[in-house]
Amino acid sequence: MKKSLIYLDAENIRNSIDLLEVAELVHGKGEVETYALCIHQCPKEAYGKFDVIINVQDDSIQTYDVLNITNCLEEMHRNYTFDSILIPATHIGRMLAPRLSMRLHVGLVADVTAIDHHDGELEMIRPAYSGKIMAGIVNRGRVPIMMSVRQNIFSYTSHQVKNTLSINVYPTSIQASNISLLEMKVKEKTKDIRESTVLISGGGGVMDQFHRLDELALELNAQVSASRRIVDSGIATRKIQVGQSGHTVSPKLYIALGIYGSLQHIEGLKNVENIISVNIDKDAPICSLSDIVVEGDAVEFIEKLVEKIRREKV
Amino acid sequence: MNLICLVKFVPDVEDFKYDVTRNVLIRENVKMILNPDDACALAFCLKVKEKDPETFVEIVSMAPTSVVGHLEDLLRRNFDQATLISDRMYVGSDTYVTSRILARYLEGKTFDCILTGTHSLDGDTSHVPSQVGEALRLHQISNIVKIEETQFKTGWPVVDVDSERFISSYRVGLPAILSVSKDSKYKLPFVKFKNLDLDVSAKIKIITNRELGFRADEVGLEGSLTQVAHTFTRNLQKEDRVFVKTDEEGIDTVYDFLHAKGFI
Ligand SMILES: Cc1cc2nc3c(=O)[nH]c(=O)nc-3n(C[C@H](O)[C@H](O)[C@H](O)COP(=O)(O)OP(=O)(O)OC[C@H]3O[C@@H](n4cnc5c(N)ncnc54)[C@H](O)[C@@H]3O)c2cc1C
Ligand SMILES: Nc1ncnc2c1ncn2[C@@H]1O[C@H](COP(=O)(O)O)[C@@H](O)[C@H]1O
Repeated sequence: MKKSLIYLDAENIRNSIDLLEVAELVHGKGEVETYALCIHQCPKEAYGKFDVIINVQDDSIQTYDVLNITNCLEEMHRNYTFDSILIPATHIGRMLAPRLSMRLHVGLVADVTAIDHHDGELEMIRPAYSGKIMAGIVNRGRVPIMMSVRQNIFSYTSHQVKNTLSINVYPTSIQASNISLLEMKVKEKTKDIRESTVLISGGGGVMDQFHRLDELALELNAQVSASRRIVDSGIATRKIQVGQSGHTVSPKLYIALGIYGSLQHIEGLKNVENIISVNIDKDAPICSLSDIVVEGDAVEFIEKLVEKIRREKV
Repeated sequence: MNLICLVKFVPDVEDFKYDVTRNVLIRENVKMILNPDDACALAFCLKVKEKDPETFVEIVSMAPTSVVGHLEDLLRRNFDQATLISDRMYVGSDTYVTSRILARYLEGKTFDCILTGTHSLDGDTSHVPSQVGEALRLHQISNIVKIEETQFKTGWPVVDVDSERFISSYRVGLPAILSVSKDSKYKLPFVKFKNLDLDVSAKIKIITNRELGFRADEVGLEGSLTQVAHTFTRNLQKEDRVFVKTDEEGIDTVYDFLHAKGFI
């Protein structure tokens, strides 16, 4: 049985737990014993999912103190000798993983988005050159295998309930720290469509009801953008136009409502991770780039999805 | 103050052409540019030096000697020294090896702070700053959008960090490694007209493995702990598309997708 350690980052707990999927892809389902490490108290969701939860009990460790978290992880690795260590690529995770790999003298693959096996050898897939190419990376034989994993790519769907063993550990390697958090401010939302993580975009198909896009944007914390068709008819300003003569955008999610997907429009979509298109014509070019194609009226889609989101909230 | 700034020259990815028939990126004749984050880190160093002319700023880069021209161009903007770490043995080093090489050079230096970029356009791993931090056992902070200048001199700077949802302010004791993001908007000034042809060659120092003393099996491709097995371009067309309608099942599918991906 292999042992895999997953670092649970408070910044994105649900996704940290989803790294269980990666552990299974790396070692094989049922072939791996999974360990979670949390600083302070472990969230309830993790119980029943991991074989072992290691709770680090030391009030002096701050969740941003990467040096001391590295000390803890190293100490745990010396105790358990893990075969793999998986770290979510959060803001902290992206500083923690390289530091730990240096400490353990093992290779590290950054921002993994897929796991592959070639002739029995593990290949970790990641984007490079700003997503223009993908690279398959192999580890040169040293263990543990280490990677940071791109957020919200993998999801763990198993319903198996495990009898989780919870251990409190009192690390001996904690050192005095000269870093402290003074304050945290929620970021002001920018109005620039290029900086938006989610874009709700409308085209010729929603010409008369373009303002309805706001309702969905509000629920998804998104901004509204448009195709040239909408801009040329004076319904929206050029500032929110996507495409060759508008802006190039790279949101994580692009919902295209009534957009045909001309070449000039698609030119403006760079490294968009997920596309959902709603169109009465399921063969419109934008649909071939989409993860989900919804065939039907865009405004009806907005109404129903907004209603569903609101219903699930209560 | 003594500042060291780590910089890297990268291929201009916006300039990449795509060969659709062969499904590859055309990388020949792509021009090299200063990594954008690193330009901001350099610009911050110049700001410090402007207020406090005693400040000494050394630029350190590990690269082939073909970047000398780029380094000279930087030196004409009032930096004090550029060190190029360059050796045929180092070709093909992964981030682990690159960081060890940079760290071995830095170990022998005295400095108040090391500035770097957060990530690079090509590899985009963000590994090097943290790994160098580990090798030197210093704190390292990524995604910095602002460094308070007055406190910087006291050795306890306050830095603002962009972590997607928050801007957090940290106080950190120097020496440390501060990694700047291009969102910081620190701007590298142009070379002054009168300095365009300034001879700066005396300010460039080249360091090879003779000074750093690695064994051949510790560096380059051989010493690397990870290896690129192959590269490929992503097929734009999605293969496993899901088709639904605007009925309840369709809306549920969309909702579950948004939920699983963390958008709701
Ligand atoms: C040099 C040049 C530069 C250009 N630059 C840009 C640019 O930067 N950005 C840009 O966007 N365009 C640009 N264009 C224009 C571009 O080629 C298209 O004309 C434009 O994008 C079409 O917009 P559309 O897809 O919204 O509209 P349409 O072509 O009108 O398509 C509407 C789509 O909505 C669907 N639909 C209709 N009713 C509904 C409904 N009730 N519910 C759901 N779906 C429905 C239809 O099936 C269709 O697919 C440029 C053109 C040129 C020549
Ligand atoms: N070869 C190198 N020489 C000097 N600095 C580097 C080198 N590679 C990376 N860096 C520094 O590390 C940062 C992050 O780069 P990377 O780890 O490649 O994403 C860059 O912005 C540079 O400041």
